[in-house]
Amino acid sequence: MYNCPDSITDSQGRVGSVSLFKLAAAFVVLFLLTSGIVNATDRTGYYGLGTPASPEEIRGWDIDIRPDGKGLPEGQGSVEDGEFLYEQQCAECHGSFGEGVGRFPVLAGGEGTLTDSRPSKTIGSYWAHTSTLWDYIRRTMPFTAPESLTSDEVYAVTAYVLYLNDLIEDDFVLSRDNFTSIELPNNLNFIPDQRPDVANGRCMQDCKDPASIRIVSSVMPVVRAVATPVIDNRAAQAAGEKIYGQYCSLCHKSGMGGAPIVGEVSDWQDREAGGMVALKKRAIDGYTGQYGFMPPKGGFTHLTDQEIEEVVEYMVDSSQ
Amino acid sequence: MKHDATPENAKSVKVSAGNDRRSFMLAGLGLAGGAAAGSMGLLADAKAGSNLPPDVPIWTKSLGSGVVAHPYGQPSRYEAQVERRTVDWLTADRMASISFTPLADLKGIITPSGLVFERYHSGLPEIDPGQHRLMIHGMVKQPLLLTMDDLMRMPSVSVIRFLECPANGGMEWRGAQMTGVQFTHGMLACCEWTGVLLSTLLEEVGFSRDASWILAEGADGAHMSRSIPMEKALDDTLVVYAQNGEALRPEQGYPLRLINPGWEGNTCIKWLRRLEIGDKPWYQREETSKYTDLMPDGKAREFTFVQECNSVITSPSPEKPLKGKGKYWIEGLAWSGRGKIKHVDVSLDGGISWREAGITSIVLPRALTRFGLEFDWDGSPALLQSRAVDETGYVQPTYQQLRDVRGTNSIYHKNAIHTWNLQPGGTVANVQLS
Ligand code: HEC
Ligand code: HEC
Repeated sequence: MYNCPDSITDSQGRVGSVSLFKLAAAFVVLFLLTSGIVNATDRTGYYGLGTPASPEEIRGWDIDIRPDGKGLPEGQGSVEDGEFLYEQQCAECHGSFGEGVGRFPVLAGGEGTLTDSRPSKTIGSYWAHTSTLWDYIRRTMPFTAPESLTSDEVYAVTAYVLYLNDLIEDDFVLSRDNFTSIELPNNLNFIPDQRPDVANGRCMQDCKDPASIRIVSSVMPVVRAVATPVIDNRAAQAAGEKIYGQYCSLCHKSGMGGAPIVGEVSDWQDREAGGMVALKKRAIDGYTGQYGFMPPKGGFTHLTDQEIEEVVEYMVDSSQ
Repeated sequence: MKHDATPENAKSVKVSAGNDRRSFMLAGLGLAGGAAAGSMGLLADAKAGSNLPPDVPIWTKSLGSGVVAHPYGQPSRYEAQVERRTVDWLTADRMASISFTPLADLKGIITPSGLVFERYHSGLPEIDPGQHRLMIHGMVKQPLLLTMDDLMRMPSVSVIRFLECPANGGMEWRGAQMTGVQFTHGMLACCEWTGVLLSTLLEEVGFSRDASWILAEGADGAHMSRSIPMEKALDDTLVVYAQNGEALRPEQGYPLRLINPGWEGNTCIKWLRRLEIGDKPWYQREETSKYTDLMPDGKAREFTFVQECNSVITSPSPEKPLKGKGKYWIEGLAWSGRGKIKHVDVSLDGGISWREAGITSIVLPRALTRFGLEFDWDGSPALLQSRAVDETGYVQPTYQQLRDVRGTNSIYHKNAIHTWNLQPGGTVANVQLS
């Protein structure tokens, strides 16, 4: 039955008694292995819980890069390739020169402003390590599609951001081999925590000269009407509005990336002409149109089809 | 939401009751209740006091809803204004953003799970716990993958600890800017956390004695990550799966998060998926670009982990104005990342004189502690302040003391004595004093 050398019968067709014992032992081991009660590897743990993480499993998740370059994968990317990628996938939020669109982060400039009253903290002016940039881009940028770039693309776009900060020339090709040669200018300006750095006393009486007290800044409270509870029978519409605010407004509030702006009647007139069904379908499946790319469900694929339909109703209703 | 007593309810009462005369009477009652509940505001206006003595309130004269009307309970509908709020101008979008705990309406020291402030960097991931794994690897004898079931089989610990974003109050370095205590101090919460000590897991994987740092990383799109010193990890860091007696809320890292008691909330990685053991910090974006404190000379402090001693009066506050002269209960919260709260003093005159307040809650290390003080208001303006002292003897500083050392551009770790300006009408404004 099992292809196990210990189970060979002798010439009389009997199974030897020793062999029988070994056969049973082999069964027990096989059972324990397949049932996961013991693992093939030597376990060190007291509780013996969990399963060993294989090198391959670790490789899939181990994405961090250290300043000494530990963790960097094989690969390379040029400033030139980076420019193309950056324009396509980053500029809509961070601006073509890294100047930041709206409140999205500024990525370049700001040198020498750290002691100003309004410092501009960028990769060039503030960050300490090139590895942080590579690590962060791979980890979570572009914002709507984390971990979507290949290693070569991360090298290229990292090189381009460094170039935008005047840290490398336009013909530079960034690779694992030359990575640690690039140092960020503010690298040496980080110091350890120095707290507690103030020493107040516990004075109880006459702690201040009353004449010295002045109100130097003041903000009045917002008077909030005490909410009279309403029985909510507009649940679907409210859900649509909420999902819009949480997810879709990212592009559809400002028109980012060519998205039709909710509330702008003219942005929606032609689209509505095609019918709600088509509109909803394109929002669910995603498509590339005349103005830009609408990702499937806006990139938030955990939303259900019904939720998307409710949001589209809300978006169209709000743009009449 | 369901009506407590609707005509529909009344009908079902009628059908289920056997006796005709009795069911008729019940139905009548139900109908009356339904009509009244539907237009309660109107009724109250038209006939003031109809729910007050000597009249008998409508809810006392009708049948309420039955069990499991809300299988998972919810607050009274009259508490609808107690909710998290955000300030849209703070961030570019709501996926990398923050909301604030409504401190003025909370009592005791435990923050209800649904009101704990939110902080996301790539939005809220919805994680299937059956497919969630915690990977532990690096300088260890046996890299492991742990399921939620595995973690639940390990020794479990519960502690009550505060959780505070180091940017709490950071908008006020240059001057008063926020409209209420929800926004000046609401990146703050305190919960009971239950999970496994990180040290237990480190022993289980056989960590190298040469290791000195751990990278913790989340399973959200941000793969939120911070380097944690081994010393802290072996001291009191917890890998947590429950909060206030139930599974973590999604907003708080369901199904698994880190809690570093007393340290920057940002280090308490939510949706925890990976721990890498190493011998150097990783200098992640969240420990260089952010969560470093820029000093006036252009240098920046890094790894400023501890949340120093702080306090605030939650009532009176902009959200809790006073309604005329007389006796009031001043109350508020104090906390310290270095241990227990020892004293809280309150001033009514902008810091000229101080009185020690009473501690009105249990006092736990690195937990919110509630204080209170009787106040007889004569209607004149007052400048209310609180000042906490922790068990190390550290006294909460003034703005001036902090600014003298750190300037106004360090964003994080602002724990200055806060001032409310109580005005003659009872209105309370957020102010800063010279
Ligand atoms: C849809 C808008 C969007 C797009 C597209 C986008 N980003 Fe970002 N980026 C953000 C937001 C929002 C943050 C801040 C996130 C946070 O604070 O958690 C950010 C942060 C960053 C930072 C850190 C800035 C700092 O000062 O800490 C870098 C670097 C960055 N992005 C690079 C990129 C690159 C490179 C791309 C293209 C591959 C890209 N981003 C595409 C929105 C975007
Ligand atoms: C990353 C940016 C982005 C996000 C996020 C996003 N959209 Fe869009 N959306 C677009 C762009 C760009 C277009 C226009 C494409 C074109 O027509 O050229 C678009 C178009 C649409 C349209 C019009 C479709 C048509 O047939 O004309 C609908 C409806 C829509 N989006 C719904 C949504 C919903 C619902 C969400 C949230 C779940 C969402 N979008 C999130 C970028 C976005």
